[in-house]
Amino acid sequence: MDKTAPSLPKAPIKLGHQTSRKFTSFAIMFILCAASVTMVLPFIWMVMTSFDWGARLNIPFPPSFWPEDPSLRTYRAALTNVDLIRYILNSFVVAIGVIVISLFSALLSGYALSKIRFKGAGMVLVLALSTMMIPFEMTMIPQYMLFNQIHLLDTYWVFFLPALNYAFGTFLCKQFIDGLPGELREAALIDGASEYGIFPRIYLPLCMPIFATMVILQFLGVWNELIWPLLALNNPDKYTIQLGLAMFNYNNGSRQMPSIIMAATCISLIPVLVLYMFLQKYIVESIATTGLKQ
Amino acid sequence: MMVSENTQVITGQQTTAVRKKWLRSTDIAGWCFVLPLLVGVLGFSLYPMVSALLTSFRGNGAASAQWVGLTNYSRVLQDDLFWGALYNTIYIGGLSAILGIVFSFILASLVHHLPWQRTRNLFKAIFFLPNVVSAVATSLLFSLLFHPGKEGLINYALNWFGIDPVGWFTDPSIARLSVVFMILWSALGYNTIIFLAALQSVPREQYEAADIDGASALGKWRYITIPSLRPIFLFMIVMGVINGMKQFTNVWLIGGSAGNPSGALMTSVLYIYRNAFLSSQLGIATAASYLLFVFILLLTLVILKVNARNQLN
Repeated sequence: MDKTAPSLPKAPIKLGHQTSRKFTSFAIMFILCAASVTMVLPFIWMVMTSFDWGARLNIPFPPSFWPEDPSLRTYRAALTNVDLIRYILNSFVVAIGVIVISLFSALLSGYALSKIRFKGAGMVLVLALSTMMIPFEMTMIPQYMLFNQIHLLDTYWVFFLPALNYAFGTFLCKQFIDGLPGELREAALIDGASEYGIFPRIYLPLCMPIFATMVILQFLGVWNELIWPLLALNNPDKYTIQLGLAMFNYNNGSRQMPSIIMAATCISLIPVLVLYMFLQKYIVESIATTGLKQ
Repeated sequence: MMVSENTQVITGQQTTAVRKKWLRSTDIAGWCFVLPLLVGVLGFSLYPMVSALLTSFRGNGAASAQWVGLTNYSRVLQDDLFWGALYNTIYIGGLSAILGIVFSFILASLVHHLPWQRTRNLFKAIFFLPNVVSAVATSLLFSLLFHPGKEGLINYALNWFGIDPVGWFTDPSIARLSVVFMILWSALGYNTIIFLAALQSVPREQYEAADIDGASALGKWRYITIPSLRPIFLFMIVMGVINGMKQFTNVWLIGGSAGNPSGALMTSVLYIYRNAFLSSQLGIATAASYLLFVFILLLTLVILKVNARNQLN
């Protein structure tokens, strides 16, 4: 189907149709622009306030979008008060580890469930899919107790080990690989290839679209996660970016420091915003195609 | 066809191997491939579920070795705080799910109607932007925007219309609603993107047929678009309920562990967190988490049931 033209048929059916269509388009644009402004204004205020040295203790009255005392000192204060660079690096370490482990698990299992018809495959699939229904909040306490017992709290294993359980990824991979021809595997088997060599050599290169989708989804998920780091990490040197930011705010108590906190928040957003800027189309597409399957 | 015949020949040669069912090489390979997933599912999903169930039947704190039967469950069910938390959770989760679906569907329909591909993509990108921002950043930002004094940006804007400063996150009767606003801002784009993808899949023939009958744009929206997106709506409601029941980060950052103001922001997950990690009552916490889980399941089943009945009519 023609994706670029979902609009109504062009031929005017009755008199004045063109003008009424123009008016509708105009009204729609107006509503959408108003909605866009609502979405974007908080960001603009955040960025503007983050540069306002005058707002380092309290929000000045009247509130404004233009900084009263524009300065970079707010950012210096944020970086000296919060170990943001370390937290960002920590988050990258966690994200890379989780992505590597979860994609390894998801791609292998997705391939096996799709192409290798082994005994018990159906059972494994049902098991994996049914655990997708279990919310993390259900299992967080026993998981905490488990990691406490094996003395791995305060290490990044608390993120890496559960990453093996990426059932949604398995599901995405299985569905994607279902769309690839099974004859490739059968032909390779006849040519004497081993079962273990077929996936990395033949199917993996074809899986790049779903690979990229999972990297994006997992990165955003790990980067923005708070509750599990909050439970599992005690040592401030190990904090992830969200935990570091949250604890800075938490420890401040009633002191506001609006512009310092906004500066720290802006810094924490840089990696995802850069990612979004370059991969915006791809991220939106990933959500559109995977969202419904979740 | 050639290929399948060949494989038959090969498997024919391997009849001895096939008879020893457990040694078939494809089975071994298959299990090797799913091993990492199985370790993950068993170790970090099923084991914790069983472990939580056992913990919920045991004593709290020092008495954690004792079996206490259903004591924890009855204590949770008699705890006013638990019911308060459940009420807040349903209030925040339900309202944000319903409003989110309505608004995002309207937004998606409007964007879908635009004839220019580039403009549509621009709006998609703008609406989705808040979604990549973490709940921590959103909560910090909104706690300043919703500042209770007259210097808060929202209150300042309301002042132009002669409205007195509102205690967004300090007035117990409004705090839940403020959290709903915040969730709407950050989550609206996600649903909009999904609705847009779904709108593109509605068959165009139906619209063309309606055009011939002289249907208005609104009529087509009401009688073609909405009915054909029924499964998507259902999916959104179920996901919205499940996600809405899990609110923690935003309420914890705004109201702290007490769910301030006056417990208005005490949600179920916050209740579980408090009992487990602040007062080390693991039995109570796991019992509460099982009750919440059962509640989510029941709610999902009811939604599916209602939908099935509606579909029959």
